[in-house]
Amino acid sequence: MTDRTQTLRPTTVIQDEQTRAFVEGLQNGSQTYWDMIEIGSVLSRELTITPELVILYADGVEDYNPWYEGWKMNTWHIPGESPFGGAIVPPLMMSHFVLCVQFDHTKPFAIGSIHTFHDTEILAPIPVGATVRIDAKAVDKYEKRGRRYVRHEVTVEDVATGTLYMRELRDILSL
Amino acid sequence: MTTTSTPVRRITVDTPVGFELIGVKKKAAIQLMGSRLWGRFNPNHWDPAYAGETGLKAPIQTGEMSSAYIAEMCVNWFGADFFKGARINCKYIASTFAGETIETFGVVREKTAKGSGYRFTVDVWAANEDGEKKTVGFVEVDVGV
Repeated sequence: MTDRTQTLRPTTVIQDEQTRAFVEGLQNGSQTYWDMIEIGSVLSRELTITPELVILYADGVEDYNPWYEGWKMNTWHIPGESPFGGAIVPPLMMSHFVLCVQFDHTKPFAIGSIHTFHDTEILAPIPVGATVRIDAKAVDKYEKRGRRYVRHEVTVEDVATGTLYMRELRDILSL
Repeated sequence: MTTTSTPVRRITVDTPVGFELIGVKKKAAIQLMGSRLWGRFNPNHWDPAYAGETGLKAPIQTGEMSSAYIAEMCVNWFGADFFKGARINCKYIASTFAGETIETFGVVREKTAKGSGYRFTVDVWAANEDGEKKTVGFVEVDVGV
């Protein structure tokens, strides 16, 4: 490992071996995103947004707004408090989870794909604990300045109540 | 005994066009970029060796991390209004590299009368410590409607 690598992410030989094995595993059998997706194809998954999942998301971006806390150290599960009553989901958390739907989770991940754009409507607050359905429909594949993009239309709605929480248009740059 | 109070920073119907939002500032920490819920699925987000093989000078953040920073700024200023009928548009125009410090910015571009209040349009962006823009876009939020 280079000095630069060690500065950014200090590791031992054992960790390096584990990293290389993990990375090689990801690359096995993966296609480009462009080849994976057909225009008009729809992928859909349901997700229960547990308090712990919200904490993992928010901690990753160091957002410590108490409105998102349905889980706290020592007390564990709590109803939480927000202007809407109990704890709510951070506004773009479901936008991040769209990745888990538009990349078909039954196939190897398409390494080399880059998210480049999103236009998101946040329609209503999502209570922590809700189960939502994320639908992602491929609506376009296009080339611009020699680069290939795949566009999806996305909706996120409550499985129990049908409340539409979010709509989004998003682009992925593919190899 | 001295008392201190936190100033109330909130967009209201009286906030003028041109108003500048104070943003949030974050370090693009490789350990967070590569956490399971964020970029672990793609080694370009956390493995310097793999990133180097693909031509990157360092691992890059997922774009959604800078969108989340911008959203945090918007919640700070719009509060509950940002969760009802809001819109956030973000374009990732440059990569955010591990180790960079990212700050978010916002300027009120427009106020359109709506109901008893306004729909605000705010230009937003995230930039590194050298002022290089990484993510640009806008948000629209109803206030006092």
